[in-house]
Amino acid sequence: MSLFRNFAAGLRSLFRKNQVDRELDEELGGYLEMEAAEKMNLGMSRKDALREVRLERGSLEVTRETLRAATWESVVETCWQDLRFAARILRKSPGFTIVAVLTLALGIGADTAIFSLVDRILLQPLPFAQPDQLVAITDWYPQGALVAMRANLHSMEVGAYWEGQELNLIGHGEPVRLYGTVVSANLFSLLGVRPEIGRTFSADEDQPGKDNLVILSHALWLQKFGGDANVIGHWVTLEGQARQIVGVMPTGFQLASATHSTPMRRSTPVQFWVPLHLDPRVVGAYWGSNFMPVIGRLHPGVTLEQAHSEVRAYIPQMRGMFPWKMPESLWASSTVIPLQEGLVGSVSMKLLLLFGATVFVLMIACVNVANLLLARSVTRQKEIAMRAALGAGRWRIYQQLLTESLVLATGGAAFGLLLAVNGLRWLKRILPADTPQLASVSMNWRVMAFTAGIALFTGLVYGTFPALHASRIDINESLKTGSQRSTVLTHRLRSGLAVAEVALGIVLVIAAGLLVKSLWELSQVNPGFRSDSVLTARITPNQSFCADFSRCLSFYSALLDRTRGVPGVEDAAVVNVLPLSGRINAFAGDLEDHPRDPKDPAPVISETIITPDYLRLMGIPLLRGREFTSGDMRPDAPPVALVTASTARKFWPNQNPIGKHLKRAWKSQWTTTVVGVTGDVNEYSLASRLPSFADGAAYVPYGNGAGAGVPRPAEMTLVVRATNNFSNLTQEVRNVVSNLNADVPVTEIRTLGTVVSESVDTPRSTMWLFSAFALLALILGALGIYGVFSHYVTERTHEIGIRVALGAKSNDILKLVVGHGLKLTLIGTSIGVMCAVGFTRFLSSLLYAVTPTDPLTFVIVSFVLTCVALIASYIPARRAARVDPLVALRYE
Amino acid sequence: MSDKPSDLVQGTLDMLILKTLALEPIHGYGISVRIEQMSKGVFRLNAGSLFLAIQRLERDGLIDGEWKSTENNRRARYYTLTAKGRKRLDSETREWGRQVAAIGRILEAS
Repeated sequence: MSLFRNFAAGLRSLFRKNQVDRELDEELGGYLEMEAAEKMNLGMSRKDALREVRLERGSLEVTRETLRAATWESVVETCWQDLRFAARILRKSPGFTIVAVLTLALGIGADTAIFSLVDRILLQPLPFAQPDQLVAITDWYPQGALVAMRANLHSMEVGAYWEGQELNLIGHGEPVRLYGTVVSANLFSLLGVRPEIGRTFSADEDQPGKDNLVILSHALWLQKFGGDANVIGHWVTLEGQARQIVGVMPTGFQLASATHSTPMRRSTPVQFWVPLHLDPRVVGAYWGSNFMPVIGRLHPGVTLEQAHSEVRAYIPQMRGMFPWKMPESLWASSTVIPLQEGLVGSVSMKLLLLFGATVFVLMIACVNVANLLLARSVTRQKEIAMRAALGAGRWRIYQQLLTESLVLATGGAAFGLLLAVNGLRWLKRILPADTPQLASVSMNWRVMAFTAGIALFTGLVYGTFPALHASRIDINESLKTGSQRSTVLTHRLRSGLAVAEVALGIVLVIAAGLLVKSLWELSQVNPGFRSDSVLTARITPNQSFCADFSRCLSFYSALLDRTRGVPGVEDAAVVNVLPLSGRINAFAGDLEDHPRDPKDPAPVISETIITPDYLRLMGIPLLRGREFTSGDMRPDAPPVALVTASTARKFWPNQNPIGKHLKRAWKSQWTTTVVGVTGDVNEYSLASRLPSFADGAAYVPYGNGAGAGVPRPAEMTLVVRATNNFSNLTQEVRNVVSNLNADVPVTEIRTLGTVVSESVDTPRSTMWLFSAFALLALILGALGIYGVFSHYVTERTHEIGIRVALGAKSNDILKLVVGHGLKLTLIGTSIGVMCAVGFTRFLSSLLYAVTPTDPLTFVIVSFVLTCVALIASYIPARRAARVDPLVALRYE
Repeated sequence: MSDKPSDLVQGTLDMLILKTLALEPIHGYGISVRIEQMSKGVFRLNAGSLFLAIQRLERDGLIDGEWKSTENNRRARYYTLTAKGRKRLDSETREWGRQVAAIGRILEAS
């Protein structure tokens, strides 16, 4: 009850201030009158009574203030007072306020944007039921291993999925190629996700005969099926197989995994889910291909360690289940980890690096604002002294100065949020598409709380020290001398802060510089082929189309013929995988005269299936021997291959590779003859020619080598070298294909140049990010140094006036100021370089052909920053040099 | 001349004011006079501590204040004890008695 009373009384006092004041006055006044009357009754003369009463009245003023101060609403009032005053005083110096708020906005905005990424990707639990029970088994496992684990592991229920399944959808408008995921039937229930309509797969629906089902993604459902809820139960033909639609997943559901998706490949959103086809009789698929990541849900009461031990104990058994011998090193270091870690893994390091960068930027911003405040407090000495003389306690002054800092912080936070919202949009565009949960990153209340928190924190950090310092002034000193100069301590402090800024800036700009150089190095890599003027398109008939291979062969022959007939086309060829496209086709093979122990794993050779014109079209040189001819493309022609120069060098050093043989590891006879050597091509990435598991690369002709085990893919990529405008060409190609066969989708139409450039999307986006931060740091640093020197010059105006009056030329003044600037900059640069040497090692995984201590970068960055700092100090220096001594000497 | 009331522990001053009002509702000056009279001049309140205590007691709901006219036809704020105030007075008085007795016992021990 008293709480309510207190509250009500306080409110009344706040909102009916005048009335409450009058009442108080009346009450206290009445007290005095009664007291005077009493004294007169006791015999005092009226004059004496009134005098005593007047003395009492003096203390009554204090009484009034004491009464007011003892209430909760007075705290509110003083805060409100401070706020209004702070706003007024900040308005009076707009330059300072704008610079300070802008500085804070940049720092806080950057932090907020990155934090929303960190929050969604690293901190939020996965959007599945009871996510702390979910685990992932590292490494990849074939179908047979999955089935074995499902049956024999007691600590958890396991499921698996394979991303990157592509199926043609025929019969719903133009034929399209869909991208989806193959899942074990229990995967959805294991994760605990519910569909939007329909159902998910039941436990046994990944067996042959029961697996002709499909679940659609929300986007696909809207796009191709009109969002019609009756689609459940309908049948669609995917890749020639009829499947029944049983469910539609909610919007945005993905099992995106940065660690599991094929690196280098731009991942596309998942459009469908189909069950695995677990058939032990098809040994090749069951044990040999499409190794999958496995996830599990721990049974209640089971710990991660227990699951881990069980899996590790079971692995040797699983290894033995293969129909052929697998190396002992398989799964040797597999572990069980929490699912969050498994999905996020590789991204977390980068994200934390990024967050670290933003913290740097925020620190720089704080240093700047602290500097500015410190400088301002010097010019406000008189005002503060006046307040103290009028009776403000030290704490009250401190409170008021801190309020100003907090007002700045609030302004900074507000603008920072605005910047962050826009920055987030930009970030989502440039970050790689397979960043987990990228689509659901947003500004939610947690992020805003973070913003408010760091605004408050930074406000206290940069506000406290200047406020404490300013409130500690000696009243006498300040009022007497009337001069507003900073003490030696303040000077040192500000110089120290400027040095710190230069150092911090150097670290960030060096980091960005290293990344820029790295990207430049990547762009200079010769991928081994000519990427100008070539259009590529994936042609993807159903795999069953090639069951009758001659039909397939004649389709592609006709396609090439007709394409060559399109005006403007110089050349056309097909290839199974484009270089730098993120896809790779490889086999375990044996090479003649390169014996190995049967226990050792066979070398892995990347195999590119081409038509004869391919090499010429792509500008890949033939170094020895001959190219393929149309004769090689006949099924009955002897299997031939071309090897790349480095493959030949590796396996047949100092020998003539022409005429050597190679074969699949599981074949008993030498099947394929090498007929030529080509130049090296970057198949995998600009940074590394082949993936780490491949030992060599070879080309084989399309249609050849069935006896040698060369696959006959139905889907091939068409490459066309043309001279004319590509938008026409795109339509022409589509026409050619649909005229040949209306059920063949044409997808991923892009120029070869685009393919190459997209292959460095990730390093490029990282570079842009760091560059953005470096730019921020540069701007903030320059602003800060300018601020410091501006005040430095202002303070020394008097002194400069004296010097000029005594005969100093403007050059001397310039030298004085810029000399000081140079000294600080050099100190800052040295410190910064030393720190950079320590920190850039964390970037080494992101760099290509650039060492973390690349001297060129360090030198250039140091030079550039020194110049920027000097310019920032030169501008106030010029002002100093033009000082009129008469004015200056009067200037206090 | 007399002990300054600021030496009084805050709670004790509150108690004295409550007691004064228990006898009869009165305005602020009246409380001051009464306490001086009843204590035979030992306690003389200054306006500051008095009104501070009154504000506190009023906000805690122990006393109620109301504007009324005095004998001289002036306006003054008269305070009365509330039920809660009465209860507080009783418990404080009891507690005070206990403390006094205890201190007395200690001081008389030889």
